[in-house]
Amino acid sequence: MFKACFLLLASAFLLSGTAFGQESPFFVTYTHHMEEPGNLEIETSTTSGIPRSGQRSYTAPYMEMEYGVTAQWTSEFYLEGQSSPGDSSVFTGWRFENRYKPLSREHWINPVLYLEYESVNEASRIQKEVEGGGPDLTSRNALLTPEHAHEVETKLILSSDYHDWNISENFIATKNFSESEGVEFGYSFGVARPLARLASCAECRFCRENFIAGIEMYGGLGSTLGFGVHDTAHYVAPVISWAVSDNSTLRFSPSWGLTHESNPVLIRFGYSYEFQGVGTRISKLFGRKP
Amino acid sequence: MTFWAGLVCLASVVAAAQNPGYQPDTSWRASEVATARQNPLASRPEAAAGGRKLFAKNCAECHGKNGSGMEKKHSANFHLPVVQEQSDGTLFWKITNGNANRGMPSFSKLPELQRWQLVLYIRQLREPE
Repeated sequence: MFKACFLLLASAFLLSGTAFGQESPFFVTYTHHMEEPGNLEIETSTTSGIPRSGQRSYTAPYMEMEYGVTAQWTSEFYLEGQSSPGDSSVFTGWRFENRYKPLSREHWINPVLYLEYESVNEASRIQKEVEGGGPDLTSRNALLTPEHAHEVETKLILSSDYHDWNISENFIATKNFSESEGVEFGYSFGVARPLARLASCAECRFCRENFIAGIEMYGGLGSTLGFGVHDTAHYVAPVISWAVSDNSTLRFSPSWGLTHESNPVLIRFGYSYEFQGVGTRISKLFGRKP
Repeated sequence: MTFWAGLVCLASVVAAAQNPGYQPDTSWRASEVATARQNPLASRPEAAAGGRKLFAKNCAECHGKNGSGMEKKHSANFHLPVVQEQSDGTLFWKITNGNANRGMPSFSKLPELQRWQLVLYIRQLREPE
């Protein structure tokens, strides 16, 4: 059964075309740009934390699969882990998220609704978002992994394209159903712009049109038990993405922690590969008529 | 015999990949202001070469490599007068906003000038009279 599923998916990928990989450079902030319908993007990323005194260093890899269900609806599935030198490497859980863009046309401000279910443990360090006071950066994995969290996370994504700038703001509210810690809040916002406005005539990889640069800022805002920025983690992060080929993108972002609860530095890397028309190919394999 | 069978096969594949009977979605209409917008690259026809590259990367999957559209995807055939009669501003608006009802995504993530380059290239697909 597993073999059959694997072969089915592998054939769908092999039959798929490729798509232009000009992706948002942000690691945390979401924009209103959705995945194209029927396309599947697979991304591997890592978040590495450089510790301050008393904190533990770590590398947290994660893989995400993003699928464009329709032009207004995108689904994503994540698997994540974490490794700390001198401690252990652990699987930290999975996440399933959906983004829905209620307005079909472009507007000055484009809202997107975001709903995610997380089944993760407290050793999770990918920091795809920071909410509440931020993660526990001092305890050992053996203490953190038994603490399981079933969380529902919602976001209101507001995003605008002004000339060639993208300006996006995300407001986050998370409820952990495994503990009574109230509803936690967080934020992120970012601005980014392509380095060139015109496409050159020739194929090129190192020309400016393949790069998007920007900056994002994100952090926690406490919870319903204590709202505010006191004892919360905040980061500011320059971001850059490079369309390495027509279908793949590299992203890099060094983040600087602004408070004592943050890591002094987070280093993020990401590589994504986009398969075009996967949905159509899979439908065909199941015999759907065009 | 094999040659003719192959030719018939090829012709049917090409025909299936086109959308000669394309009918535009009448509810997908740009505002008057958007329709009236002029292409800022109109005096730079050489920029269409960049548009061709962008077309191959972003549009060819649904509209075909030569822009003839695809019947199964209900995608526009850019060679037809029903498309070419639309103003530059209308085409730009359609690329920017997409048409969720017919599965066309928005391409507002492309810089404005690149969307105008696409319009320039689509103009080159006009059928000779």
